Amino acid sequence: MLTLDPIWQPETQQAQFRLLLEAMSYPGRCYSLLNISEENSAALAVLAVLMDSEVSLADPHFRLEEGDWPLLQVNSKELDEADYILCDGSKTLDFLPKLGSLACPEQSATLILVVEQLGQGDINLKLTGPGINGVNELRMNGLAPHWLTMRSDSNGTFPLGVDWILVDKTQMVALPRTTQVEVM
Amino acid sequence: MNQEPIKRTQWVTALSALPAEQVVSLCTELSEGWKIRPKSIPQSGLGLLKLNDSALNDPFYLGEIPISSAWIEVTTAEGQQTEGAAQLMDDRLELVEALALCDAILATQLPGWEKIEAMVKQGLQLREVIKIERKRLLAHTQVNFSLLDDVGDDNADT
Repeated sequence: MLTLDPIWQPETQQAQFRLLLEAMSYPGRCYSLLNISEENSAALAVLAVLMDSEVSLADPHFRLEEGDWPLLQVNSKELDEADYILCDGSKTLDFLPKLGSLACPEQSATLILVVEQLGQGDINLKLTGPGINGVNELRMNGLAPHWLTMRSDSNGTFPLGVDWILVDKTQMVALPRTTQVEVM
Repeated sequence: MNQEPIKRTQWVTALSALPAEQVVSLCTELSEGWKIRPKSIPQSGLGLLKLNDSALNDPFYLGEIPISSAWIEVTTAEGQQTEGAAQLMDDRLELVEALALCDAILATQLPGWEKIEAMVKQGLQLREVIKIERKRLLAHTQVNFSLLDDVGDDNADT
């Protein structure tokens, strides 16, 4: 009777969550998300896994449709208070996200940045840190340089900081705050 | 004589008195060729029943109840669009989705609404029978405390 898109179904969400865990464990590696269609973007698929009524989301670039919010069952909050922030990576935005505290560094924001393309492009990043064997390279298109400066400022007082999930049309890459990023 | 229309707030109560299979099978039949998509993800689980104590007004949890809810958008084969929702003290998702669909069909009088209305009337009659039975049971459990006053007077005399 009811037609529920695969990204809202438990089996898909469990598999996507597993991919997210892997992505966080191996920063810089591209992972193809499951059951992505023209109607459901990779960003929405990631949000479908992570959002529920206990967390909050900010969408300053209005990437979500009005009908997506009741499906995500998430509370909307301001940029400086939200647990998750969905942004367009090609646009700049000046704000200070939640960085957590020394006692609770995990109570920080996770940024979901939508870029044009992951795995190839003009932007070339050198990645080092936990989960990376030596050095990893990550290429992409569609990320404004401002975001990398902002990341560097936010994560300067480690363990406080923010974690990133980059998405393009079908893939995602995670950059937790433990990863050192250098522009090549 | 015109009967007063049944309030929308009573539809789910009435329909949930009927066997679930009856409701689900009628909904499946009526919604053939329709597009039904969720406005929010149908949920089913245990809800905690919270009350405030009368002394300090502190909240406490009396217990758990099964609860499910559905909010849907319906588009018929002719392109007519409407919404429906239901919340039920029951954990069967299929049933609450069917009740949400009944709510949508009746609210906008989509094709087949007369059958749903007949089921609502049938359900209300069943509820009335249950209500009368409960009243009868309650009457049986009532205690006549006035007899205790007579016993008290007898004790005072001795």
